[in-house]
Amino acid sequence: MKPSKDTGTVRLGAGSGFWGDALDPAMEALSRGNLDYLCFDFLAELTMVLLQRQRRKNPALGYIPDAVAAMKALMPAARETGTCLISNGGGVNPRGGAQRIVEDARALGLAGTRVALVEGDDMLGRLDELIAAGVPLTHMETGESDLARLRDRVVAANVYTDASGIVESLSGGADVVLTGRVSDNALYVGPIMHRFGWRHDAAHADRIAAAITLGHIVECAAACTGGMSSRFAEMPHMGRVGFPIVDFHADGSAELSKVAGSGGRLDANTVKEHLVYEIADPRRYLMPDGVADFTSLALTETGPDRVRVSGVRGAPQPDTWKLVIGYQDGWIGESMAFFPWPHAYRRALKARETMLERFERMGLKADQIHFDFVGLNMLHGAAAPLPDDERLAECNEIGLRCAVRTRSPEEAEKVRRASTHLWIMGPGGTSFGTPMKPRPVVSLWPTLIPRELVRQTVQVLEA
Amino acid sequence: MTRLLSDICYVRSGDKGNICTAGLIARTPADYPALLASVSPEKVRALYGDWVQGDVHCYPMDNIQALVVVMHGALGGGATSTLRLDQTGKSLGHALLRLPVAGG
Repeated sequence: MKPSKDTGTVRLGAGSGFWGDALDPAMEALSRGNLDYLCFDFLAELTMVLLQRQRRKNPALGYIPDAVAAMKALMPAARETGTCLISNGGGVNPRGGAQRIVEDARALGLAGTRVALVEGDDMLGRLDELIAAGVPLTHMETGESDLARLRDRVVAANVYTDASGIVESLSGGADVVLTGRVSDNALYVGPIMHRFGWRHDAAHADRIAAAITLGHIVECAAACTGGMSSRFAEMPHMGRVGFPIVDFHADGSAELSKVAGSGGRLDANTVKEHLVYEIADPRRYLMPDGVADFTSLALTETGPDRVRVSGVRGAPQPDTWKLVIGYQDGWIGESMAFFPWPHAYRRALKARETMLERFERMGLKADQIHFDFVGLNMLHGAAAPLPDDERLAECNEIGLRCAVRTRSPEEAEKVRRASTHLWIMGPGGTSFGTPMKPRPVVSLWPTLIPRELVRQTVQVLEA
Repeated sequence: MTRLLSDICYVRSGDKGNICTAGLIARTPADYPALLASVSPEKVRALYGDWVQGDVHCYPMDNIQALVVVMHGALGGGATSTLRLDQTGKSLGHALLRLPVAGG
């Protein structure tokens, strides 16, 4: 039992901000951070679709392979420090992932390790039940309601669920928790609620809102310690950045820090940068565990790489939760070519004209054809003003990117063909990388469903 | 020389479906009133032209001297289906720094 448990404080570290994040900062936080919990976010909107695709090919898959590898790498040290590892790396198959982790624990000689799996977010098999029950499933952004027209193309449907399953897992003595699509910050809200014995009621609304807020700040790991920063030039040693650590107090206030000597920086501005990230109305940051008012909090720099967060207010959990339905929606064909000084832009314009002629000759059937001039307007489009003619003529190099939406892979393949025709039909100096393969598109249909329709279940496996 | 938001702000942007959200943060508390005065839904729509197709909302955060700009229909369909390279809008919000500082 660590001292922090007696002082009304729980200490949590961020172990991952996305599928693909570095493992060494998690290892550093685990070995030097004196953590009660280390929490890993691996999931993004598209991830569930990719994992469903894997599971369709092999029913044993569908979890995040990196999550299993991370647990294997960290479990021995976590047992030494008494740290519990919590992740949403179960993806669309928490059971399959948990079984792998149990096998790894046995192989590592960590008998008795308790691995909890949290399920219930996967609604793919229950979609028709929801439709039959009259749940409207209206698209949150567009207001469309005719999901029926694409029902047979649906490949994933997952609800962002709350921390209840994680709380139950921890109450069951779990050393490792593996969930499906819980909300990112539920990974942090869960252990905080468990530690202090909080319930989802009005009396705890402000403190749970504070937990949601701290979860939001740290859930993308290095994104609040100097990653993605506008002040990138002032961020030391980002290649060995320290992930954030939260000391969360029973009154809902918290201190953010990171391991001493690690790279990056934690100050009021790095925290502000992530507070505003990917939110809508900051007065109502809506999560399955509750609603947080980000305009109510105060940030105080209390030392080097140390920021206090206090005063968060909020409201109890909403009656509806977000369900994201993914459906197959055609293909994308894509190409790039690059053109040198002199007159790089004129060469790129000529190449675009040639590609459009090729598309016509090849009878390309496209929903949408899109061109970018790399180095001029690929990132900001209409918001990027073209340089004047003199500066355009002097550009060192410019690229032409083409992306086309089609209904079939055969049509998308025509974009790759047309772009390779530019090898000789194109302007002098035309240069290429490796041609890109067509890729399938999965579009998302976000909607809201009544919370009471979702049932999380927990099972604890023992190594 | 006209001052631009890039002189007084930081920005971080990202996505939710086909929505691009960008947080503009005043570099100092003294810059915050100028930030608020310089950004409106109309100015944002005019800046992005047909790259932002839906409504724009601006939410001030007085406590951290920031302004959250939420742009609907701004990602060409959203990360999974857009034809743009900047699929998740990480770059897109930085164009807001081109807006001139009001009265600056």
